Amino acid sequence: MPQVDYNAWRITSLSTLPGWALALAALGIAAAVWLSFRGIRSEPSRLRRSILIGLRVLAGALLLTLLLEPGIELRAETRVRARVALLLDTSRSMRFPASTEGTTRAEEMLRWLKSHLGELSALTSRFQVDVYGFDKELAPQDPQKLASAPDLRAAGDLLAQGPSTDLVGALTAASSAGTGGRPLAGVIVASDGADNAELSEGMTGAAASELDKLRAPVFALPIGAQAVKDLAIEKVVVDDFAFVRTQVVIDVTVTARGFPSTDVPLVVRREGQIVAQKTVRVGSGTERVQAKLSFIPDRTGKFAFQVAAPVYEGEALAQNNSRSFVLKVIRDRVRVVLVVGRPSWDVRFLRQLLKRDPNVDLISFFILRTPGDDTRSSQDELSLIPFPTQEIFQEQLKTFDLVIFQDFGNRPWYHLQQYLDGIGEYVRDGGALAVVGGDQAFSASDFDGTAIADVLPAQLLPPTAPSVDETPAQAHLTDAGKRHPVTELVSGAAANETAWSRLPRLPGLNTLGAVRDGAQALLTAQDGRPILVVGEAGRGRTLALTTDASWYWSFVAAGQEQGPRAYETFWHSAIRWLVRDPALTPMRLTAERTTYEPGGDPPALDAHVRGSDYGAAGGAQLRATLSSADDPVQRPAGTAVAGQDGTARLVLPQLSPGAYKAVVTARRPDGGEIGQAEEAFVVAPAGAELSRPAPRPEILQSIAQATHGKLIDLGDRLDSLPFHDPERVEVGQRKTRPLWDKWGVLVALCCIAGTEWSLRRRWGYA
Amino acid sequence: MDPICASLDRMQHWSRRSLLRAAFASALAWPLRGFAFGEASRLVFAQLRHAGRWDPHPDGLPRLAWEVAKRTSIETSPAVKVLAPSDPELFRHPFAVLSSDAAIPALADAEVASLRRYLSYGGFLLVDDASAQSGGSFERSAREILAKVLPAAKLQRVPRDHVLYKSFYLLDGPTGRSVARPDVEGIDIGGRLAVLYSPNDLLGALARDSLGTWEMEVVPGGEGQREKAVRLGVNLAMYALCLDYKEDQVHIPFIMKRRRI
Repeated sequence: MPQVDYNAWRITSLSTLPGWALALAALGIAAAVWLSFRGIRSEPSRLRRSILIGLRVLAGALLLTLLLEPGIELRAETRVRARVALLLDTSRSMRFPASTEGTTRAEEMLRWLKSHLGELSALTSRFQVDVYGFDKELAPQDPQKLASAPDLRAAGDLLAQGPSTDLVGALTAASSAGTGGRPLAGVIVASDGADNAELSEGMTGAAASELDKLRAPVFALPIGAQAVKDLAIEKVVVDDFAFVRTQVVIDVTVTARGFPSTDVPLVVRREGQIVAQKTVRVGSGTERVQAKLSFIPDRTGKFAFQVAAPVYEGEALAQNNSRSFVLKVIRDRVRVVLVVGRPSWDVRFLRQLLKRDPNVDLISFFILRTPGDDTRSSQDELSLIPFPTQEIFQEQLKTFDLVIFQDFGNRPWYHLQQYLDGIGEYVRDGGALAVVGGDQAFSASDFDGTAIADVLPAQLLPPTAPSVDETPAQAHLTDAGKRHPVTELVSGAAANETAWSRLPRLPGLNTLGAVRDGAQALLTAQDGRPILVVGEAGRGRTLALTTDASWYWSFVAAGQEQGPRAYETFWHSAIRWLVRDPALTPMRLTAERTTYEPGGDPPALDAHVRGSDYGAAGGAQLRATLSSADDPVQRPAGTAVAGQDGTARLVLPQLSPGAYKAVVTARRPDGGEIGQAEEAFVVAPAGAELSRPAPRPEILQSIAQATHGKLIDLGDRLDSLPFHDPERVEVGQRKTRPLWDKWGVLVALCCIAGTEWSLRRRWGYA
Repeated sequence: MDPICASLDRMQHWSRRSLLRAAFASALAWPLRGFAFGEASRLVFAQLRHAGRWDPHPDGLPRLAWEVAKRTSIETSPAVKVLAPSDPELFRHPFAVLSSDAAIPALADAEVASLRRYLSYGGFLLVDDASAQSGGSFERSAREILAKVLPAAKLQRVPRDHVLYKSFYLLDGPTGRSVARPDVEGIDIGGRLAVLYSPNDLLGALARDSLGTWEMEVVPGGEGQREKAVRLGVNLAMYALCLDYKEDQVHIPFIMKRRRI
């Protein structure tokens, strides 16, 4: 049996009685002493009183000793060493430069570790030193292995892979980790402080409370804080979508560190074009400035935007001086101008429909009086206003999504000639024009040979030809009309044809020339006269409706118990198609995601191509080009061929962070263009780890303060830090021995009790 | 610059050809203007036939059509469609007139249902009291009929700032052959005046006999009142076709200015 060196002892009780029994006995003994005192308090002799009380107390003490069984415990004790935890930041932000010399933060941290390995060894004589890497989780690290890597930069890059930084979580986990319940003497943290968990917005009360529970000082080494100068677009807040012609406000948060008082120009670019700019002033020291930039989008679509500040000389990080986003611009309301040559029932029902539609912002101009009319009144007795041709057809034209000419012709007293080329240009630039029939429309309109005639989907007959054929017409769907969204009154081909065939016959039609190449007649009369023809002119769309009685499909249909639904559906669909409602475009392009991770899955676009007849464009050749928010040049980015169902996927190359706009053009195998579609997306780090990577030494400072530690420098010695060194021992072996012989105590007790009894008898107290 | 709705001084800038064309068109007036689509695209009044005296002024509506065509750009037809309220043909003529100078016998259920549908889907009904007697037998019967046709609605005074009084002429109030009451009443359906009740025999002020002389004397205002009645009729036709067009923002400053003159 090995020899045990007991180096400590203590008095203990060997009694097997439960605590409550011992307590009860003690109470009984105290009561006996007190009764004895009461019984002899009238004794005049002080000596006798003292003897009797003394004997009773002595007997009680012996009885208590007998019950407690006092003993001695011999112990073999050893002293426990406290722990010191060294936490190394292994999050991905440590791969960013620590200073302008180009060393990464992780590299700098490893250099520091290498130069302080000796001090760590010295610490192990006093403490148990545990080394961990931390990011989102805590993981043990071997400091010798880390410091001995031949290429510290590569080793740092390999080490710094963590997806996020959680400083409080790491400190809490480090305090409870370790072996044998060793107390924590202190924590050394080497980090850039770029926390994106509990301390992302700075120190909070809850975090300070958690840190206080560590009961150990934290000594924080700020990595990268030496690069004192950095400007960052920290945050950009903007809605996911905006309305065209309505102001968009972008909230930008700029942080500046190490800057003297400087005016920083912020710009917002849309595909290379500056749409908003503002100058903010950043002051000395770390500062956070918020700015609101605004602009008014002038067209619908999905666009790539970039908010950028200049990169100043000596900045630690250039990547965070810009931030990209995608904004979808939609119409809040379709802005329609309805120009009418003469009030009629067709005009009245169309105006009523447009006015009731909450999605339409209607501007109307009706010609209420012609030169031949005699009002028998002065101008001041009339409510008539001048026809503001210049305002409509020149100043405001581009603000309209759709121009409708209803029974409207190019009469000389309108003086329209000077505006017609502009209207044609408006259509080709993406506007929309609908021409609705009437006595003054089409071949009676005097638009033949003008820019208006050029953009219409069918040729105009010369003015000498009859402008109207009064033969009643029943609308029939053509093959194109069976597929086209404008003529879809109800879903299902057969049901749709039936719906059209049930509508009232029209009383007559305007005559029209040949349908232009690329345009389609969707509705024809029973004898083939075109009723509805649609087409495209440049980027715009046009529609020709050769009747002034489409209201028959509403009111007359209502008289035939059908209701006005067909009329309303037709016109709503026509307007949506004319203004290129995304749901009715023949080609759709959708990014698989709105945001892609740099270096992750490459961006991919799903294209769905339909021909102008809205049938699937199988075999279509797709070619993608890409531009970015700061570079409008379209660069080739990939090709694909659509399958028989008209769908294709275009996988784009890996892209650097930024906002991008992809334009995909679809062509038929013979080279003819089918259509074009656009999509925008962002390539940006998904999490805050890489999007907010700036060093934050102030976070480390607040941690040190909350734990009564301090910030340390790269050169500070680790073994001289003021760690807590709490006393704690560990008991190896123990042995107990009774102090006194039980029988001896019992005999002594009996003798004392007997003596007291005999004295009481003698002195007359028995 | 547009001359169409503008004052005459603008017309001075027209070319000689324009003026000649305008003068020619003016001289020929309504019967010969181009309307190649025929009646379907023109304003054709429908006179509702009922069991009572449904046509107290046979020339009233043709005369109103003539005045509308002569004074405005609206194309009208001199022919008036006489239709029963239940006739499906009524739905080709969204402007209907219910008139008499005596009580109107109750309408059949089918006629009531048809009129209800007609008014609900966009039709306009002018109820003209040819007796011009406030509280008379026509008014009582007309109110009963309207209560059956549109039980949820109620005739209400048309305020003087209603677009009806500025749809073409700027008027300060209604009138007719007589002035039985100073205001007209109407029923609004979905923001649109669907029924207009005229207590002053509006069409009586317009009717002429076969020799072209006025059929009835206009009291108390004489010929000035007759002209106002014509203008109200023109405004009614314009309102039926343009609805609240003159309430559009662009018109307001012009109208406000002229109202102040």
